[in-house]
Amino acid sequence: MKPPLHQPTSVAEACELLDTLEETMVYGGGTAIQILIKQGVLFAGNLVDLSRVPGLAEIEETAEGLRVGPMTTLRRMETSEVVRRRVPLAAQTYGHVANPRVRNTASVGGNIAHGDYRLDPPTALLVLGARVELTSVRGTRAVPIRDFFVDFQVTAVEPGELITALHIPAAPAGNSSTFVKMSSLGENDWPAASVAAQVDVERRTLRLGLGALAHVPRYVEVPLDGRGVDAAVAAATAAVEPELDPIPDVRGSADYKRKLGLVATEDAVRRAWEEAR
Amino acid sequence: MKLIQLTVNGRRYDLPVDDDELLLDVLRDKIGAYSVREGCGVGACGACTVLVGGISVSSCLARAVRYDGAELTTADGLPEDDAVVTAFVESRAMQCGYCIPGFVLMAHELLAENPQPDREQIVAHLEGNICRCGTYQEICRAVEVAAERRERA
Repeated sequence: MKPPLHQPTSVAEACELLDTLEETMVYGGGTAIQILIKQGVLFAGNLVDLSRVPGLAEIEETAEGLRVGPMTTLRRMETSEVVRRRVPLAAQTYGHVANPRVRNTASVGGNIAHGDYRLDPPTALLVLGARVELTSVRGTRAVPIRDFFVDFQVTAVEPGELITALHIPAAPAGNSSTFVKMSSLGENDWPAASVAAQVDVERRTLRLGLGALAHVPRYVEVPLDGRGVDAAVAAATAAVEPELDPIPDVRGSADYKRKLGLVATEDAVRRAWEEAR
Repeated sequence: MKLIQLTVNGRRYDLPVDDDELLLDVLRDKIGAYSVREGCGVGACGACTVLVGGISVSSCLARAVRYDGAELTTADGLPEDDAVVTAFVESRAMQCGYCIPGFVLMAHELLAENPQPDREQIVAHLEGNICRCGTYQEICRAVEVAAERRERA
């Protein structure tokens, strides 16, 4: 049975549908959902399409950083002036997802709701300490992104809940960051390892987001002792290593990905460090 | 079935579509826009590219029902003297040609955003398009020629 597509025209109506229908799935940009349908691995009783709900694709500048609507496309995150200015790491990382055409359709909310361990954006969002706003008929709550990715393709989104915003705090002035993605099969394929890194301006903290290196995206924070970039790399790789638990697949063995994860960590730390100077 | 309205290459169509009908199939089977082609079926090859309000979309991953009221351009709709099309022809940027409508539309999107792209920007914008004949060098050259020509025009 093909799941029917419902097209609400307000957040309240969408929440109502999510509350009352069986086995609902929110349909955002639809790029991941359509692929999963073609592969025959999408199990949903009802699809709730957000494309007719107005106001869900806004990027607002806030005192803290940005409030991003869930239907904002990944390409707008990459190209928007305000995103580049307030959270350059986010703009850079969103610009690495798939290809420009898929980024034109794929949505910010759908991307994290998909919850795949190999996605690029979570690595940056973990580093930046983003918060996910979830709305349902019961009300609204915020979940820190660092608590959002619960298990293999499982997120903190509860049945009946809808992602209504992503709050991304701007990094304090002077901080520097970068995103490194290593793919073993092709430029646009899922990565075998990806790392987002942010060097604190005081050199006291290093924040790392790891993609494709465990069954969930992982966050690692490393205190820095001010002994220079080589010491920072050593501290980062030592802190990252126990977090590495990659899933072996066609892109490489667990061992290969573990090694690549350490290379990506070193690359990301060195590049971010260089920028901070 | 829902009734939707699409404007394709300046012509209006009122079409009944199923919820799960793909834009790709509607364009080919109901409108006859055969330059829109299926390749990989997962958004990775670009053969099914269409422009929606000037923005590139993989029609193989797009449900038609979500594009009610949209203005679409397919490669069939471009004029014969289109700067990008003529640059592709003169640069011999094709062998079998299956992928070329997608490349041409991606090039249009790029040049609208960035009229004078460098080679790196061209490659970055076309990274999601695959040519199995491997005419990438000629394709990149064609985009450069089109950019120069548009500049002079």
